[in-house]
Amino acid sequence: METANRQQGEAITPPAPPAARKSAICNLQSAIPRPVLLFDRVSKWYGPVLGVNQVTLELRGGITGLVGANGAGKTTLLRLATGQLRPDIGSVSVLGHDAWGQPGKRLVGYCPDVDAFYEEMSGRQFVCAMARLCGYDRAEARRRTEEALALVRMTGRSDRPIGGYSRGMRQRVKMAQALIHDPRLLILDEPLSGIDPVGRQEFVALYRELAARGKCLLVSSHELDELEKLTDHVAVMARGRIAAVGTLTQIRDLLDDQPLSVRMHCDQPRRLAAALMALEDVVGVELGEDGGLVARARNPRKFFQELTALVLEEGHDVRHVETLDDSAEAILGYLLGGRRGS
Amino acid sequence: MGQPNLLHYRPWRGEFQEPLLGVWPVARVGLRMMFRWWPFWVIYGLGMMIFLFFFFGQYFLAWADTQVTEANVQLGGFGRYDPHDLFRILRHALKLTGNGETYRNFFWYQSYIILVILALAGSMIVGNDIRHGSMAFYLSKPISRWHYLLGKCLAAGVFINMVTTLPALVLFVEFGFLDGWDYVRESAHLCFGILGYGLVLTVTFSLLIVAVASWMKTTVPIIMTWATVFLFPKLVASMLVDGLQFHPRLRLIDLWNDAYLVGNWLLDVPPDRIPPWPQPAWYEAGGVLVVLCAACLVALVLRIQAVEIVK
Repeated sequence: METANRQQGEAITPPAPPAARKSAICNLQSAIPRPVLLFDRVSKWYGPVLGVNQVTLELRGGITGLVGANGAGKTTLLRLATGQLRPDIGSVSVLGHDAWGQPGKRLVGYCPDVDAFYEEMSGRQFVCAMARLCGYDRAEARRRTEEALALVRMTGRSDRPIGGYSRGMRQRVKMAQALIHDPRLLILDEPLSGIDPVGRQEFVALYRELAARGKCLLVSSHELDELEKLTDHVAVMARGRIAAVGTLTQIRDLLDDQPLSVRMHCDQPRRLAAALMALEDVVGVELGEDGGLVARARNPRKFFQELTALVLEEGHDVRHVETLDDSAEAILGYLLGGRRGS
Repeated sequence: MGQPNLLHYRPWRGEFQEPLLGVWPVARVGLRMMFRWWPFWVIYGLGMMIFLFFFFGQYFLAWADTQVTEANVQLGGFGRYDPHDLFRILRHALKLTGNGETYRNFFWYQSYIILVILALAGSMIVGNDIRHGSMAFYLSKPISRWHYLLGKCLAAGVFINMVTTLPALVLFVEFGFLDGWDYVRESAHLCFGILGYGLVLTVTFSLLIVAVASWMKTTVPIIMTWATVFLFPKLVASMLVDGLQFHPRLRLIDLWNDAYLVGNWLLDVPPDRIPPWPQPAWYEAGGVLVVLCAACLVALVLRIQAVEIVK
């Protein structure tokens, strides 16, 4: 279709002279914002083991979840993005800067999943030391330390040694050091683990606020329920590759070989089941003991259109409709062949 | 934090400092850890006692020399002696003359303190970073792994110089005050010798401890490796050269002795005044130290990576 459009355009518009065409291309390129994070056919080996295999990924903003089984290559991907690792093939860039170089690193904030701090240091000293590593002078480092600690609500508690911190407080300190240089790209590895429910709400609000202010967040998490609350845009990794990228709905729609299960409650389930079986995309209907039925259908979008028409035409009294396997958990299970890391 | 307030973040308009300046914060974190560890102060206190022995020993001999006015004093049942001769003999016996041997001995004694503390604190300086994965905090910041390494070596180096070079310079100044301007003028080369010996110990020991700690990670294996590197070759070399009369070049396997030989050369100590005798040439010992440092660098380059190689 793209080719057809191009041919059509060429037929209408006379070809521009080379100089004008080059200028037009330059204008077009400058009009398109640069991706915040770009993986361009990246591969990374650890000796004979392939950690990441030909990954191409582009993030332009907002919050993106990164999910995958253990050993899928998530951590390698995050380390490549934060400049801790250099790709063997391909390139990783942050706003056009090589992620391995210092200009690239200045644009990235990283909140690792490890809880390994210097237990005898206070949270304030740790965050300040990290600020100095970012290249700020002493006064600016102190100022930013206070701001970052205030942002994660640790101002009053940050003079205690880290050894006495709870897991949630450690998460907050890690978050503070990631935010210390006001990075454009934030990479968060299991940022909500160990945080109490109230703290989670606070952090989810913080992440949304950061995203709303133009930050790009890449969040790796095994806690899919929390991730779903945060974003519906995910990148799924499997065996070192990006298995799927997009919203959960988009990814679910692409899973043709895994029919969507829809549970319905109505006054005449057998009659509705018979009508559903007549639909082209329905591959099975199961009657439940509670008076409900579960239909399994390919092409969910088309199925719901047809279901709506069916209910209206035949006058079914449908009281309840719910999809059973379009959650992140279920989608990941399908993508990873029923095997998902803890 | 229901509605996070990010308004106080203002864009940075200043100049970022060079990544090389990030070395000092890395070192400071390591030093802070070490200074908060009480055994450090106990062992450092022992080191300071050695320093105080040299400091007050020299001061006492100089003071006593001025207090005795008699030409001869009775020394028990051994007869009468000139007290100034007695002080001179004592000063030479204790090597408190302010020449190269004084500083050489001081460095030698302090080396024990350095070895013990570095063995105990190695895991704190760098081992825990690798063991627990804290390196991610450093390597995700705009510094390279070389800056990280340099910072860790600097932490070890600051400590080494706190124990050796700085007190030795204080002793030099003390001798200058006691013996007058002539001493400072005539012994200026010793000042450079002290700095050079300190530099040799700093580079060699800091690279070695960072390399050993990065591979061994925890305290007990670090101590065992450290002891094997320094004590075992020393015993073997002594047995081969002093006991079995093999070629003195075999002493080169004793790394401690190698640093000692280079230090003696820097402090202008004549070769025949270097116990135990015979010894290999200083440049051979220096060559061993250079090879050792190169090996440490290779080991560190292989080790200091964000992810360990999956076997």
